[in-house]
Amino acid sequence: MAKKSASKKKSSRSVLWTNLWTRGGVDLPFLILTFVLLTIGLIMLLSASYSYSYYYEDGDSLYYFKRQAVFAVIGVVAMFIISKMNCNYFRLLAWPMLIVVSGLLVLVLILPARFGDFHRWIDLGPLSFQPSELAKVAIVIFCAYKMEQEHEKLRVSTKAMWKYLILTLGYAGLVFAENHVSGAILVGALGVVMMFLGGVKMRWFAIGGALAIAAVTLVILKPDILPDHASVRIIAWLDKDYDPQDTRWQTNQSLYAIGSGGLMGAGLGQSRQKHLYVSEPQNDFIFAIVCEELGFIGAVTIILLFALLIWRGFVVAMRAPDRFSSLMVMGLISQIGIQVALNICVVTDTLPNTGIGLPFFSYGGTSLCVLLAEIGMILAVSRRSVLGKSQQ
Amino acid sequence: MAKRSTRMIAKRSMAVALAIIFIGFGAGVVSLARIQLIHGEEYKEKARMQQLSDTTISPQRGTIYDCNGEVLSESATAWRVYIVPSKIETDAQMELTVSGLSAILEMDEETVRKKAEQSEYNYVSVKEGVENNTKEALAAYIDEHREDDALHTIIGFDPDTKRYYPYNNFASSVIGFTGADDEGRAGLELQYDEELTGTPGRIITAKNGAQDDMAEQYESAYDAKQGDGLVLTIDKVIQYYLEKSLKQAYVDTQAKSTYGIVMDVDTGAILAMATMPDYNLNEPRVVADASVQAKIDAIQDESERSKAEGEALYSQWRNRAISDTYEPGSVFKIFVAAAALEENVVTLDTTYTCTGSITPSFRNRPIYCSNHAGHGTENFTQGLMNSCNPFFVTVGLELGTEKFYQYYEAFGFTEKTGIDLPAEAAPVAGVTYYSKDKFTVSDLASSSFGQTFQVSSIQMITAACAIGNGGKLMQPYIVKARVDADGNTIAETKPTVKRQVISEKVSQEVLGMMEEVVKGGTGRNGYVAGYRVAGKTGTSEKLSGTDASARIASFVGMAPANDPKIAVLIVVDEPKGQTGGGAVAAPVAAEVIENTMNYLNIEPQYTEEELATLDLKTPTATNMSVSDAKAKIEAEGLTPKVIGDGDTVAYQMPEAGQTIAKNGVVVLYTDQNAERSKVKVPDLTNLSVAEASRRALNAGLNIRIAGITSGEGIVSYRQSIDKDTEAEAGTIITVYFKTNTNIDDLA
Repeated sequence: MAKKSASKKKSSRSVLWTNLWTRGGVDLPFLILTFVLLTIGLIMLLSASYSYSYYYEDGDSLYYFKRQAVFAVIGVVAMFIISKMNCNYFRLLAWPMLIVVSGLLVLVLILPARFGDFHRWIDLGPLSFQPSELAKVAIVIFCAYKMEQEHEKLRVSTKAMWKYLILTLGYAGLVFAENHVSGAILVGALGVVMMFLGGVKMRWFAIGGALAIAAVTLVILKPDILPDHASVRIIAWLDKDYDPQDTRWQTNQSLYAIGSGGLMGAGLGQSRQKHLYVSEPQNDFIFAIVCEELGFIGAVTIILLFALLIWRGFVVAMRAPDRFSSLMVMGLISQIGIQVALNICVVTDTLPNTGIGLPFFSYGGTSLCVLLAEIGMILAVSRRSVLGKSQQ
Repeated sequence: MAKRSTRMIAKRSMAVALAIIFIGFGAGVVSLARIQLIHGEEYKEKARMQQLSDTTISPQRGTIYDCNGEVLSESATAWRVYIVPSKIETDAQMELTVSGLSAILEMDEETVRKKAEQSEYNYVSVKEGVENNTKEALAAYIDEHREDDALHTIIGFDPDTKRYYPYNNFASSVIGFTGADDEGRAGLELQYDEELTGTPGRIITAKNGAQDDMAEQYESAYDAKQGDGLVLTIDKVIQYYLEKSLKQAYVDTQAKSTYGIVMDVDTGAILAMATMPDYNLNEPRVVADASVQAKIDAIQDESERSKAEGEALYSQWRNRAISDTYEPGSVFKIFVAAAALEENVVTLDTTYTCTGSITPSFRNRPIYCSNHAGHGTENFTQGLMNSCNPFFVTVGLELGTEKFYQYYEAFGFTEKTGIDLPAEAAPVAGVTYYSKDKFTVSDLASSSFGQTFQVSSIQMITAACAIGNGGKLMQPYIVKARVDADGNTIAETKPTVKRQVISEKVSQEVLGMMEEVVKGGTGRNGYVAGYRVAGKTGTSEKLSGTDASARIASFVGMAPANDPKIAVLIVVDEPKGQTGGGAVAAPVAAEVIENTMNYLNIEPQYTEEELATLDLKTPTATNMSVSDAKAKIEAEGLTPKVIGDGDTVAYQMPEAGQTIAKNGVVVLYTDQNAERSKVKVPDLTNLSVAEASRRALNAGLNIRIAGITSGEGIVSYRQSIDKDTEAEAGTIITVYFKTNTNIDDLA
């Protein structure tokens, strides 16, 4: 079946249309893990946000929860629709997405900034979204699509690698220009992961790794070379006593929250730090509130659920019918994994403070929808699992 | 398979990517473990510090009552004003806060500003014990600035308590006072601080990051448990009598201080206890004596001045009846007498011939008697009446050091009495009294008449009560019961017998001797007509002081002598002029005993002799015809004086049933509304009883005789209405008499 659909890639329009929908069961563990995380995420969002929401949204404690819930429903519908699609057709998204996203990444820099010098959002009336969210998907799908075609070439030719490197650096550069360091890091990391999985020669990673270590060392030694808003965060990460009332406020409050949780946690809804101590507890630092309320046991359980989700994504990728799907699933699942890892490390002060949300948990309608759409794509691939053939 | 593998990603690459992500997860878990499991408590503590606002609710301090439930000390609700400096954001808020608080609370602006500038704090107390009307004024001020400057978020109130002493100076050295923190600092307030304090309540409120209260669920309140009340054995009326007399003595004798105790002979309960000069419990940190304050103010050097002020305050707070020790002098002879009678060294009939001095074999210098001419031959009772030193030295030496010491210990002079008051003087062997192994016959000789050792007043009166109550040494106490906030008794003090010191028989014998002392000996000024007073005077040199002429005069009295109910000890420390216990302390005790016995409704029983000189009750004349009334009054030996020309008596002065001396006058008015006849009060002091009566009668006034009324050398020393003031004709003036003859007892 996989062979068949792969060979029909250049079929006529009508055939293509009739094959757009696909049958076959999705990967049930992956779907269940998704729902479990989504549910816990929503509950924790409610708990973490209600005091903040009450204070800043005219006494409406449910403001953030209601909006997030609406997007969750939209996202889940989108996820199911996408999961029913024939994953072969995702290839068709590669070029259009690349072009549209590139355009949006430029556009967002031209549009007036929403606040400060941060050109991250495009306003669409009541909604707004970050093009960098789409950039992550775009880079994964394009790389998967092109790397499938150039698989052999990548192995032997250095030339073939350059377009991916330029694309990665270009996207990362554009996001960086938004004054969005964390977004740039994620986009860059995804490009690197895709190149690694796509078969680029190991020596380039050795060189890249060396350069990265040098860059990190340089940044740690001389944080000033980064834009101001990023450099103070490096300084605040290195010096735990730095500016506790402002720069380190959020991190310190996060540590107080996590520490207060102890082994067993304060109990669901019992966080005190969410009462305006942890700034915007519904966003990037929601995990600190999770740790305070559910304790070490609860926090580790959630990390394990994420690990299982990623493991299951890995299994879906292994069983994918073709190289494109496999690369795409790996790219998407890596994106989720990297975000989770970075978020937890930031919240625990293991890494400098960057603005990365926790998938399924952090408030943000468009990013939740994009996330669920990505899950939908992975589920679509899982329907076409080649389990029997590959394993035996 | 081969074709497929080229199509697929290398498993190894996938595994590496996965591993890197999981390493990231692992790093997070390790960090969580470090933060939550290893450093969890530290972070939790830091979080709590910023989240919780912990407010203490002071419990209402228990009330102190006298034995009849009169309130002597109580707490009333007051307020603690606090500010939230972290909420002061603008200069306008700062100025309004500082100016408003300093004006309304009457505080220094700089002091308030310093508190307001502590911007890192969320709670700074500005003033405690703020009364309700001040709080209301402040609340109004806050309301005025609520809209524009949000002062209500900056200034707040917490309930607090303030201690009030309704009678100011009354029983000050006994009750004591509390500090600003509501903690007892002296007297009973200190002794029973824990019981009076109760358990403070707490309100723990969680504050959010904006310093507003978090949702209600985070507030936990622990109710304050009210402090226990104390019911004292002190009787307000007796205390008043004691204080009044001590104060008068303090003024009259110009002593350094006067102090005294009234004790229930049978139980050891303190009925009254006072030290003069006293101080106002509501202003304990104000030096009460203006002349002392003036001396302090005159000191130039600031540290010297504050030192002097501190000393003055400690001195005025001192409960001298408990904390001061003194040489008991001749009063101590009653214990020597008791021991000697108990050990059959003497009997009441033993005689001794006093030659004015005695030189025991181990001494070169003689020990003199107060009467250097000698008392001649006297029996044991007469020896005590004369306070004869040679007699008691002889008796003491016969008793021997061992027996003497045994009784010294038995009467409790080597231990604290254990009264429930703070700062009781602790007897120290070798310092305040002789240690047993170093007690020589020479020490015994001087000890026999109460010199060369010291006792506290509470020890003295407790030991005296053992003589009065049949030989039982009691543990004195001042708190009769503890009651809860609703008045229910929690604990009651039962009288405690420490030990039997002497027999019932000896107790009676010594009381009899002491009664003779008051009847005809050095203690005659302790005499109270109608009440048989047993007593003993004492005068001693202050060996510890620098002034060789300084004396300490004392008198112990008990009444009625046949079955004593009350014991009174009066100590006059360094009187000027007359210095003898019989001259300066005994009259004070007599006043206290008379007033107290009357108050306790103990019927006076007069002897024939007393009846002869006694006062009488004014007859009823009102509504009688003038002629009948005159006849009735004359029949009583009184002089009638009629004002007005009516037929019947409408009003009389003094009224019927009043106590007046014989040969008095009764003014009769036939017109109820007639203007009262006024006369000028003459000087009635330094006169004999007869002279005083005559002078009063001449002026158209009556006298009532107080104190000793018969015997040698009796003169009046005080009158209840000052001379040269105007009084209504017929008014009764109490005139106090005492004697200065043969009352010397000093060695």
